[in-house]
Amino acid sequence: MTPDEKLSLADKLYRTKYEPDPGHPHVTVDAASLKKAKTRKILKACPAGVYTKDPNDPEKVAVSHENCLECGTCRQAGADEGVEWKQPDGGKGVKYRYG
Amino acid sequence: MSDDDQVKMDAIVVGGGPAGLSAAYAMAKAGLEVMLVERGETCGSKNVGGLVYGTVLNKLIPNFFEKAPIERPVSRRTLVFLGEGEHVSMNFGADEWSRPPFNNTFVVHRSQFDRWYSKQAEAAGANLIEGMVVEDLVYEGSNGGRKAVGVKLRGDEEFRADVVVLADGANCLVSEKARADLGLKPGLVKQEYAIGVKEILGLPRGTIEDRFNLDPHEGVAIDFFGTPFEGLVGGGFLYTAKDSIHLGFAARIESLTHAGLSPNEVMDVLKAHPVVRKYIRGAELLEYSAHMIPEGGYNAVTELHGNGVMITGDAAGFVNMSIYKEGTNHAMESGVCAAETAIEAKKRGDFSAQGLAGYRDRLNQGVVMKDLKKYRKVSEVLEGSPDLLSLYPKKVNRLMIDLFTVGSQTKSETQKRAIKAFLTGLPKFRAIRDLIRARHLA
Repeated sequence: MTPDEKLSLADKLYRTKYEPDPGHPHVTVDAASLKKAKTRKILKACPAGVYTKDPNDPEKVAVSHENCLECGTCRQAGADEGVEWKQPDGGKGVKYRYG
Repeated sequence: MSDDDQVKMDAIVVGGGPAGLSAAYAMAKAGLEVMLVERGETCGSKNVGGLVYGTVLNKLIPNFFEKAPIERPVSRRTLVFLGEGEHVSMNFGADEWSRPPFNNTFVVHRSQFDRWYSKQAEAAGANLIEGMVVEDLVYEGSNGGRKAVGVKLRGDEEFRADVVVLADGANCLVSEKARADLGLKPGLVKQEYAIGVKEILGLPRGTIEDRFNLDPHEGVAIDFFGTPFEGLVGGGFLYTAKDSIHLGFAARIESLTHAGLSPNEVMDVLKAHPVVRKYIRGAELLEYSAHMIPEGGYNAVTELHGNGVMITGDAAGFVNMSIYKEGTNHAMESGVCAAETAIEAKKRGDFSAQGLAGYRDRLNQGVVMKDLKKYRKVSEVLEGSPDLLSLYPKKVNRLMIDLFTVGSQTKSETQKRAIKAFLTGLPKFRAIRDLIRARHLA
């Protein structure tokens, strides 16, 4: 087990509870808007690292919506980068035990 | 369902946080038919915080702290200026803060606290609809006469009410849409957001009390400034819960993207600082969370009422980002103001924008808008004088360390050198200007 001082982001997210909703992404990135945008702020700004470079297509980003903490930072940072957001279905998504 | 079968409530509240629950509680207590819709599985499950301020809640539910899931009251506060390796701190507390009403400041786990509060609202008569997403409001009429008459849930089900209280939090999709659809006047400036990231770190109760010098019913709230947040508009915090610690930071999203930093990187830098590292030694991570904070303050507040609608809490931008950093009590106060306005509107049978104008008046007469107005320059000061949060803490650290470094020179020499080092690289005129501006933060 990794000592808690040296947890990776993935390790950290593993400690947070989610109610998964596979196949129903609540965040997507519009490819056309992203292509037009000069920046890729969402890659860094998301505290859960939901957005990563698509290994198969440098113009695209991959979206790991299942890790989303539903803070909305990407809507602010990536307003021009094609982030499209709706709330997850009722009861789905992150489920804080402490908050 | 035909219109005749449709249940119509007096009020629908969107969102089960401090603002929405306070509105629902106060309206239900006054005998209104209230429904509260929360998108989380239960109220609180999407909410993140650390400190709850109890001034408003104590009026609604006297001595709430005897029943609510409080982790610890805050009996001591600490401000820590972190340098690379050095640090300067200021500690203050009062015995009185360890006794009711505990200076109205409590460390809580918001998921648990908000859930408890929702049970109180339910017991007062509010109907909780949890695990349902409000997509939009339902409107009747057009143009200036357009009026909200209910909410539309995902899956197209509708609930009707005379008035809708929006309390959908910082990431307020419903309020954003309602502002546009009802043509509510925007604020003087655009709303600005910070991202708050936090870790709940588990430690045995005794370890926390020994490590932080606390009695069992005491707690500490620490604010961190300085190097871990270099170049950012933000700072860190540590709150002691019963058998865990809240450790985190909040920074303007724009400052993070400008610095090219990810929130988790900053979190790890904070955790690795020698001062912080020793506080959390041996702790087990229990939860990692993130939540936005509206930081635009007074100038970013929009028109908050329209035909059939009032906007409250974080969705309204009611956060005081001065050194006091209060939000929960403002959320609760705005919820109560909305409730009182709805109760009055029901008596008069007028839920138009004009009929709900008392909401604005109540906010203006209360603490919320007065405090927000006093600190209306915080946002611009923090953005315009980034040195306030990085250079000056560093300088103060250096000065104290230099003054107290024991060497073989005379004290006169030590002091002369320390002061010279302090002034070197300190832009005099800007420093004076920044100092004058800093008054807006306190």
